[in-house]
Amino acid sequence: MAEYKLLLEHADDPAYRTLAGYQAKGGYQALRKAVGMDRQAVIDEVKKSGLRGRGGAGFPTWIKWNGIEKEKTAPHYILCNADEGEPGTFKDKQIMETVPFLMVEGMTIAGWATQGDHGYVYIRAEFCDAAKAVRQAIDEAYAAGLLGKDILGTGWDFDLDIHLGAGSYECGEESALMSSLMGERGMPRLKFPHAPLPTVAGLWDRPTVINNVETYACAPFIVERGGDWYATLGASTKNSRGTKIFSVSGHLNRPGNYEIEFGTTLGELIDLAGGVKGGALKACVPGGSSVQILRGDGLRDAVIGYEEMWEAGSMVGSGGCMVLNEHTCIVSFIWRTAQFYAMESCGKCTPCREGTKWMLQIMERIVRGNGQPGDMDLLMEITKQIDGRSFCGLGDAAAWPVAAALKVFPEEFEYFIKHGRSMIDTPQARALAPRWAQTVGV
Amino acid sequence: MSELIQIGAARPKAPQPQDLTLRWSERAVEELEALKGHYPDLKSLILPALWISQREYGGHLPPEGIAEVAARLQRTYAEIEGVATFYSMYNTAHAPGRHMIEVCTCLSCHMCGAYRLADILEEKLGVKMGETTEDGVFTLHEVECLDACDRAPVIQVGPDYLDPQATLQDEGGEAKMRAWVDRLIDDLRSRPEPSSVRLADTVVQVHVRATER
Ligand SMILES: Cc1cc2nc3c(=O)[nH]c(=O)nc-3n(C[C@H](O)[C@H](O)[C@H](O)COP(=O)(O)O)c2cc1C
Ligand code: SF4
Ligand code: FES
Repeated sequence: MAEYKLLLEHADDPAYRTLAGYQAKGGYQALRKAVGMDRQAVIDEVKKSGLRGRGGAGFPTWIKWNGIEKEKTAPHYILCNADEGEPGTFKDKQIMETVPFLMVEGMTIAGWATQGDHGYVYIRAEFCDAAKAVRQAIDEAYAAGLLGKDILGTGWDFDLDIHLGAGSYECGEESALMSSLMGERGMPRLKFPHAPLPTVAGLWDRPTVINNVETYACAPFIVERGGDWYATLGASTKNSRGTKIFSVSGHLNRPGNYEIEFGTTLGELIDLAGGVKGGALKACVPGGSSVQILRGDGLRDAVIGYEEMWEAGSMVGSGGCMVLNEHTCIVSFIWRTAQFYAMESCGKCTPCREGTKWMLQIMERIVRGNGQPGDMDLLMEITKQIDGRSFCGLGDAAAWPVAAALKVFPEEFEYFIKHGRSMIDTPQARALAPRWAQTVGV
Repeated sequence: MSELIQIGAARPKAPQPQDLTLRWSERAVEELEALKGHYPDLKSLILPALWISQREYGGHLPPEGIAEVAARLQRTYAEIEGVATFYSMYNTAHAPGRHMIEVCTCLSCHMCGAYRLADILEEKLGVKMGETTEDGVFTLHEVECLDACDRAPVIQVGPDYLDPQATLQDEGGEAKMRAWVDRLIDDLRSRPEPSSVRLADTVVQVHVRATER
């Protein structure tokens, strides 16, 4: 299957980043339609569309929107998770930079459907260009009466502001993001069933919808063309509808964002990105650093869909597809993955705070050529102690890639530990190693 | 363990309230005022106020910069310091050089030669990751994924993402990286404005609505 450009259709057109250009291409038709509809009817369209959250977990979007109290007793908040931090993912960045109005309009539609009062876009502070594009879009929307007081003559007021982070992957976790927006350290909060859902008590303990940038950007198409139409996309899969933007990076001829319909195969996606560079396909991490690595043989036929990917041994995740060629040392790749999670663990709970550091220490001694005989079992044991025992998803996400790599590429770990050097002994592989590791290859 | 992980680094002492002189410019005070309308609870101003302070104090957050945020938001020093030190982009540990070069060595960048690029930068500047050149112009830093992996290996300087448009898999990739680093350093040397001030200013400006300017 080829690319299916729905969200990114006009990504190359600078005019689309202005309100006039956006409206010339049909922009804000969806909001106009939505405000003429009953609020519940908007949520029903989202239900029909089968839209699932694009931030990583794939949770049905309509359930969140529908979970907001219908008899309003307090202010309602609409929150956009634009803290994209997952290694391998850069789609939200492109959406904000090139099609920012889709996200702004989508958030406004969510606001209408749930009687929202105020929206916030929480953007990671590194994304200055994206934040500027969103700033411009919001300012233009305010000036045209598409945000602010009495939107489109409905008597409904909705404000939208930008809030930037300050460098923390954990702030992408929704409850940590809310802590951060409320002026605290970016640490997560107790979750359902131990605490109410964000739809009941989110930001400032008020009903809050939180979705990813891409999720909101889908909403205008769903409202304008109908949920039934949207659900025809990806109909070949079990339960994944619409398009998904995959950020494809690594050893590729044309790395970049590619929007595809669910049901496309990983092989087709890799071909869209120009195919593998510098050698044969060895492995692929299809959905961002948190998901399980897949072996090259057989992965080309794996179908992209939430359930399908799970059956293939991995996950759609946030869509950060990293492709590795034959000169990649998997042990080195996993060492670097472990470093990321050890670095970004917020330190709140022991399994993750200690476990990620232990995994890194063991990986580090392996890549320094000092691996010990039982290290693989020890690593696997630690992943089990972290997975399911951590306070938030970061701990699980740190354990999965390590556990998967130990299962999928055991020979490389065994070799490295036994010989004190990488099994991948090619000049290309050596060139990638940090200087301190060049004697052992990594 | 990696340069990235520093445990138990000593924190500088907080200034006594009577010793504190407020240093923010009039513009900074106005910006903070404007942002007050964005949130139902003023505690949310802590992150943006720290960004303002980082700009006002020349691109880093000395104890005075933290204390000024505490004073202006009427919160304790301990609370503000606790928040500031959680986030990696507040320069609370030390003042960076005029240009902080942040090299992403995370997964895709690593796979495309980020460690080689880091070596080239270290050689060129004669400092290691985490260090500042003697003339105070450059600080090198290793960072986690900048989420621009299609441009791997990529670096950030202030608000800008930059990349050599070459990977180690390309023909002559390393030579291209070297030539690019030479050009980059020359170019940055000619820029007087500290990049961390530019970054902080961009971040602050993005918060402010057009109608509030
Ligand atoms: C450690 C961690 C980091 C996360 N980072 C992000 C992120 O950067 N962007 C995002 O949209 N969701 C992220 N998530 C998922 C969010 O918690 C949440 O599921 C998502 O924002 C919900 O939006 P959606 O339903 O539209 O996907 C992260 C989760 C965890 C556990
Ligand atoms: S799992 Fe990790 S990131 Fe999440 S609360 Fe525990 S220590 Fe923090
Ligand atoms: S790994 Fe460097 S930008 Fe993502």
